[in-house]
Amino acid sequence: MKQSTNQLVEHFFRHESANLVAVLTRAFGMRRIDLIEDMVQVAMLEAMHAWKQRGIPGNPAAWIHHVAKHRILDTLRREKTYEKAVALSGLSMADQSINAQESIVDQWLEEEHLPDSLLRMIFVCCHPSLDRKTQIALTLKTLCGFGISEIARGLLLPSETVKKRVQRAKNSLATANVQLELPSNDQLTLRRDAVHDVLYLMFNEGYSTSHGTEPIRDDICEEAARLCHLLCESPCSSPATKALLALLLFHAARLDARTDEDGAVILLEDQDRTKWDRCLIGTAQSWLGQSKTDQPTTFHLEAAIAMQHCLSPSVEATDWGTIVLLYSRLIQLRESPVYALNRAIAMGQAGDTHEALSQLQKLQNREDMKHYLLLDCAFARIHELEGNKEAAIDSYLVALSKTVAPHEKALLEKKLRKLAD
Amino acid sequence: MAKFMFLQRGGGCDTPPKMTPEQMEAQMKSCMEWMQSGKDEGWLLDPGAPLSGSSAVVEPDMTVIDGPFAESKELVGGYTIVEAPDLAAACELAKRTIKMAGAGKIEVREIANVGQ
Amino acid sequence: MPKYMFIYRGGHEKIKHASPEQIQQVMQMWMDWIEGGTEAGWMLDAGDGLKPSGAVVNTDLSVTNGLFAESKALVGGYSLVEASDLTTAIELAKDSPMPKSGGIVEVREIANSGKQDA
Repeated sequence: MKQSTNQLVEHFFRHESANLVAVLTRAFGMRRIDLIEDMVQVAMLEAMHAWKQRGIPGNPAAWIHHVAKHRILDTLRREKTYEKAVALSGLSMADQSINAQESIVDQWLEEEHLPDSLLRMIFVCCHPSLDRKTQIALTLKTLCGFGISEIARGLLLPSETVKKRVQRAKNSLATANVQLELPSNDQLTLRRDAVHDVLYLMFNEGYSTSHGTEPIRDDICEEAARLCHLLCESPCSSPATKALLALLLFHAARLDARTDEDGAVILLEDQDRTKWDRCLIGTAQSWLGQSKTDQPTTFHLEAAIAMQHCLSPSVEATDWGTIVLLYSRLIQLRESPVYALNRAIAMGQAGDTHEALSQLQKLQNREDMKHYLLLDCAFARIHELEGNKEAAIDSYLVALSKTVAPHEKALLEKKLRKLAD
Repeated sequence: MAKFMFLQRGGGCDTPPKMTPEQMEAQMKSCMEWMQSGKDEGWLLDPGAPLSGSSAVVEPDMTVIDGPFAESKELVGGYTIVEAPDLAAACELAKRTIKMAGAGKIEVREIANVGQ
Repeated sequence: MPKYMFIYRGGHEKIKHASPEQIQQVMQMWMDWIEGGTEAGWMLDAGDGLKPSGAVVNTDLSVTNGLFAESKALVGGYSLVEASDLTTAIELAKDSPMPKSGGIVEVREIANSGKQDA
């Protein structure tokens, strides 16, 4: 993923604002999240303005932290409730309240303490009172620092929908005055599973090729991996967290090879494997190595499959037999037609096109697979593998009739042209 | 200007001294004058009220004790909020309050009033 | 509805030795309590804190200066609330951050406060 200076600056501002929102919300309460976000925004604008005139300071993050912290403290001090709390708690007597507030914020903003506040914010954004879609939108807004319109573009939703969703979530969390705390031990497994799901779905939203290409989508993938890494490095992680990170990194390694210069999708079998990021693949392998457990999760198995692909020099050299086994174990863990479909393709690639076709036919009878484009593509692929060109063309034509998305049409037409040659 | 709270120690309406109707009327009149002058001169922010109804004390361990604070010398009989430039000036106002409103001993305390 | 004055005594020792994080928590408790009560309507006036120094004007008009700082019974602050009866007021007092901070809440009905509404 190449980054221009502009992108670096953008990342800096996004991450700094997310850091600040997490720390300040932890310090001043969920009730003030709107105020905090506004003040952080003001600090960002102030920074850009000042830096244009005077140049970028030696420690830009510290500069922004300082401004934002003072903006928020100034505003709070003008708040009646804040004054009253200082007076009634007896803090006014020692006159230490203001110093205490400042020093705690400073402390939490220090590099080594920052992950703790972010982690607490992750659990807030993935709060059980919110539905999955809202959790994803709120995570993108609060922890990744994306704007509403960016999230809307990334999730292919109208801006108004995203805005309402985020605002409603913030209101309900503020009303309940949810604390930025880590889940208690008896809650941890459940709450962590929710975070895993959100990060997995968030990555998929970014990765999914069915929505065309927007640079924002690579950013979303990167953010999901960044937050997952943060969770991995915390005491709240489990073997599943590490397996999930491995999975995300194996996929991320192939991000650049996945589209051509025009943004059209390139399928796994046609990708230029020299474009895969070897460094990320290595990191992913090491995380998968650290994720060992007696009870592998779907993340473990999906990561293991992704690793098989990443380590194979070509489609032909891929160990499809192992991939079939891994999909079978996945299906044992969780019944899913998508797993079954992928297993059938792997069977075909492994040479058993007969079994592959009979598996696909079983899927064809399922109501939820009727309009599933990839099922027809899978049929076409197996027919290709058994050398039945005509049947393959027929299947691709059926697939073509099921989509209106231009990039999907383009991909299928390319396949058909290749077969016609 | 600082704000001060007058905490009345003893006196108040709890233990009304025996008075003739004339004395009572005079006392009332003087009390009204105190309130009026306080308002006119601007130092009387809240004439307050006697604290003479039902009462209880909640201790740090959440036990509840009937009645007001046990040590009678600490008993607060009522309160008033005034404004004054300093403690000495507030004490002068307290003296006027004792004379005119018939209050007992007054504890004069500056209100924290953070942020002002 | 009767009005009550919460008179806070003590509870300030703890905060002097608190860490910034604990101070943050105490602040948060007070703000939540005040905001919650104001929204619910029973908090008429969050009141204020009283500085520890002061004076006593005696009935003979003599003045004794600043003698209370050490007293555990020192009034540290007050709030005004509204409640249907003493029992309800006591429950509100229990929910206040004061007992958690090691202080005492004296719940006192304000004379004649409920009469005109009756």
